This record gives sequence, structure tokens and C-alpha cells, in this order.
Amino acid sequence: MKWEIFSMAFESLLANKTRSFLSMLGIVIGVSTVIAVFAIGQGAKESVNEQFAGLSAKSIVVMGSGAKSGSTSSSKLDISDVDLIREQSSYISSAVGMIQGNGTINYGSIDTSSSIVGTEVEFIDIGNLKLKDGRFFTDDENKEKLVILGSDVVDSLYSEDENPISSTVTISGKKFEVIGIFEESGSSLGRISKDEAIYVPYEVAQSSLLGKGGQLMINLEADSVDNVSLATEEITSILRTEHKLKDEQQDDFKIMDAGSMVGAAQESAALMSTILTLVAAITLLVSGIGIMNVMFVTVAERTKEIGIAKAIGGKQNDILFQFLMESIILSTLGGLLGVLLGQITIPIISYFNIIAMESSFTGPFLGFSFSALVGIVFGFYPAFKASRLDPVDSLRSE
Amino acid sequence: MIHTVVELNNAYKSYKLSNREDIPVLRGINLKIVKGEFVALMGESGGGKTTLLNIIGCLHPLSAGKYFLEGENIGIVRDDFTLAYIRNKKMGFIFQQFNLFSRLSALKNVALPALYASTDKRERIQKAETLLKSLGMGERLKHKPSELSGGQQQRVAIARALINDPEIILADEPTGALDSKSGLEVMEIFKDFKRQEKTVIMVTHTAEVAKYADRIIFLKDGKIIDNDYKLKSSY
Repeated sequence: MKWEIFSMAFESLLANKTRSFLSMLGIVIGVSTVIAVFAIGQGAKESVNEQFAGLSAKSIVVMGSGAKSGSTSSSKLDISDVDLIREQSSYISSAVGMIQGNGTINYGSIDTSSSIVGTEVEFIDIGNLKLKDGRFFTDDENKEKLVILGSDVVDSLYSEDENPISSTVTISGKKFEVIGIFEESGSSLGRISKDEAIYVPYEVAQSSLLGKGGQLMINLEADSVDNVSLATEEITSILRTEHKLKDEQQDDFKIMDAGSMVGAAQESAALMSTILTLVAAITLLVSGIGIMNVMFVTVAERTKEIGIAKAIGGKQNDILFQFLMESIILSTLGGLLGVLLGQITIPIISYFNIIAMESSFTGPFLGFSFSALVGIVFGFYPAFKASRLDPVDSLRSE
Repeated sequence: MIHTVVELNNAYKSYKLSNREDIPVLRGINLKIVKGEFVALMGESGGGKTTLLNIIGCLHPLSAGKYFLEGENIGIVRDDFTLAYIRNKKMGFIFQQFNLFSRLSALKNVALPALYASTDKRERIQKAETLLKSLGMGERLKHKPSELSGGQQQRVAIARALINDPEIILADEPTGALDSKSGLEVMEIFKDFKRQEKTVIMVTHTAEVAKYADRIIFLKDGKIIDNDYKLKSSY
């Protein structure tokens, strides 16, 4: 019996194709939005993970607090602080100072802009980069114009049969000898990609390339994950003492550990995802109201039918069920189409690299179940109204 | 043994207008209809014929008084499930405007009350087919109402009224929308109900149709003014 009512509901939807389609369209858009949003959320999460893939949980980063505006003048953070930490800290297993900036690098007739990282010998232990060829500079070469190139830089400057080792490149007008190249890593160093950067000795970077404009970043590694917070406190007090900060003065440096950095990035990715999900939910809600509206029109149009159905013995529940069925068919069919549309859109958007998207099971599942729910919730009231109509009044209506 | 199918005792019905004023439609109806009787309800429009029919058909509750259906006082029943059951199993409605579902075929229209009665599909389709064939509609099973003439549509409606084998047939001007030839054909079908021992209550305002009835009840201003009205001999 229920199947029969289902097919009657279906037939009456078919009788009003345009209207059914339009009210379904809202659901289609809503569900595909949910799916897209989940894919974006998933994509953001994965790009965060990827970004911090090279970061060990033991990592701690110290930067001058004026670092963001590109000036270190307000901060006394200095490369000498790195040695100080090495000497005084009991929880740090390795420390390396880095200075970052941008510049143009030129080889032969090819120019490319890249990030410049001035760093110390210890970088090779802490930087999570593998040499593909050549070597890193040594402690004695701190003032030499030597450079190690990231893999993307190699790709853009050299053809495949060229060997970059021992070639000479011009960086911001100064000649440097290439002594090594790194393998591709896919990870980043703060906001810059490790593969798109070039690496030179710290002192050279400061004196010849970046000057005072470079931002010092001290990368530290705690001796164990458990000691990360102890190390953070210890370094804070070492640096405060060194910088002669009074108790009421704020730190003139920022100290972040990997855990809280990943946490913060994940939190912001999750926040974005939540906001987008909310928008998608609102879309579905609005489409639900659309369905409710259409169902009210349908009930009004079919008032006479309702009267006839009652006169020949249709129960309130039969009528409720039939109208509810119609809205459920509308919304679930819309939901299915939405899932389809969403799943088709993800690879297209990924292909054009518009935004990071990763298809998930949750998106389609949630989108579809929500659409079914919308059909039940928003279809119920019109169906209930229909089932409670007075039979004689309904029969009289035209 | 003669037994009373429908009995109304001092039945009142009034409608509430939007300004809360009560408009009385039936004012103290006393009525007995026995099994197998063919009764015609006549009277001026606004006299309460259709309201009386709707009350007997359990589409309306009474405002006051008693309604016994086969000895049971159902005037007090408000429960939809019971009322729907009575309309479905005990009554067969036939309307002036046929009131078929335009999207459904003749066969499905006829089978619908059996669907509401939860008869299984094969049985109800078979019953509907048999009924339609017996009414000369065997060739029109798959036709939609819009593809049928008025007379044919009314036959479909009659078949629909009969599918659950009800005891009472309620007809509201069944020939009102038909030409005289089709009207006569429909009345011939009504005559047949007598053989099937069905009780028929029919609203009409034409004497030509009313003469098929065993008894004519004449209503005026919500009251029965004649319980066995005699038509003038000219009809």
C-alpha cells in the first residue's frame, strides 16, 4: 500500500515538472554547496598538515616581535642570541638562526625571484632538507658567497642536462657560487616554501643581501617533546635577561612551539570550515522553506482532491503520508543530484587549482542526510495541514 | 426482517460564520431509512439536502441530536480513523461532478478506495476491472477522466463507489451534469442497486430522477416537511 502512495506522489510531482524541478534546484545547490564546503575544509586541513609536515613536534621558533612589519629595530633579537641559547639552555638540542628576505636570482639569461634564507651551519640538521647533490657550507665559510638552491629554483634556472654545482649565479647583483642543491621537500618554513628558496651563510645574507631588512628567525629543537614547554619558558627568561627587559615590559620577541603553531593553523582552517558549513546549512534551510512554500501551493491546488480522498475513505494519515512523500521525494532527489553535482565539481575545481579541495565521505553523507531531513521537516507542516482539512469544505473548493 | 440502516433523531446542524454567528442548516431532522430502500431527498436549494447527505456519509459531525448507523450512535464519534473507516467500507459516494482524480486512469480511480482499505494490489485491480466491465467500461480501463464522456466518467465514479461493497450508496445529484440519455443510463444502474439490496440515498431536484426512488423525502428550511412525498401523476 505504501508503495502505491509513493508512486502516486511521484506521478503528481511529474504532473508539475517545472515547479518540482525549481523547488528541487534549491536543494541541489544546497547539497552541492555542503559537499564543496567539506572538500574545501578537508583541503585546508591537508594543506596545513602538508605545510607543517617538515616540522617536528619538538620545534620552537623565536622571532623578533616587530618581525611582521619587516623591521627588527624594535626588537633586540640578534644572531648572537642563538649562541647564547646554545650555551645557556638545558633543554635545547639544536639551534639555528635564519634571516629571510626576497631577491632576484639570475643565471645566464634567466631571472627568477626567490626567497633568500641566510642561515648557519646547523640548518642542515634542523631544516628537514636533504642534499641532492653537492654540500652545505661549513663554519669557516660564514663570510663566503656560497649558495645552496631549493629544488624549484634549480628547475627554473637550469635545464635538465646542466649541472648547477660550481656554477655561478647572480643574487641581487652579487655573484655567488652554487655548492649544493636540495631535494624537493614540499614543506615550508613559516610562510615561504622551502623549495622556492635559496640558502646562503647568515653573515653574507645580512651584510650583502638583506641588510637590516631581513627578519631573524631562530629555529630551535627541544631535546624531547615533553620538554617543549619548559624550554619555551627557559628561553623566554634567557632572552629577557639578555635584552634587559624590566618586569613590566612585554617580550620584544615571539616564541612559538610547533604544537601550538599547527594547532593555530588547524584552528583557523576549522573555523573557516565551520563558517562555510554554516553558510551551506543556511542555503539548505532556505531551500527547505522553498519546498514548504511549494507544498503549500500544491495543497491549496489539490484541496478538492483531498476532499474526494476523504469522502472515499482516505484517512488523515493517508493524506499526510502522500504529501509528506512528495516533499521527501523532492528533497532526496534534489539531494542525490546535489551529491552528483558536488562530486563532479571537486575534480574540476582542483584541476584549475582554484582552491585546495579534497573529497570526503562526510560531505556527501551529511549533505544528503540533511536534504532528506529538510524534506521531512519542511514537508510535514503543509502535509499536516492538508490531512486536517475539513472534507466538506475541501469538496466544495474548486 | 426489515432493519433500520440509518436513523436520525432530532438532528441539528449549524455552521459557524467567521463573525461567530451560527447559521442553522438542519433543524430537528427525524428520519429512518431501512435496508434496501431507495430514498430521494428533494427540496429547494439551501434546504439542507446536501448537508443531510454529508451527515449520513460521516463527512460532517452533527451539532446536536443522534445519528444511528445500523443501531450504533455514531453522531458522537469524532475520531478520524473510525469515520474514515465507515466512509471507506460502509458508504459509496457518487457526486454530481464525478470527482475523479484527473491524473489517474479509470482503473486506478476505481481501485483507490480499496487501496485505502489496504486490499492487496492484485485483488483490488481485479475487482475494479470486473466492476468497470459490468458497467460497460471494459474498453476504457486505462483512460484518464479527461478522455471520457460525462456518462462514462459517472460510471467510473459509480464503480469506485461500489468497490468496497458498501451497504449505503450516497449520491448527490448523480445525473445533474449529464445529458438526459446518459442520465437515464445512470438511473438504470441505480435500479440495479435494488437487486443488490443496497440502500440508496440520493439528492436530486428533478422529479424525473426522483421517480426511480421508493420514497421521496422533501426538505424545506432544514426540516423534513414530507416523509413520503408523492410526485404529481404527470411524471
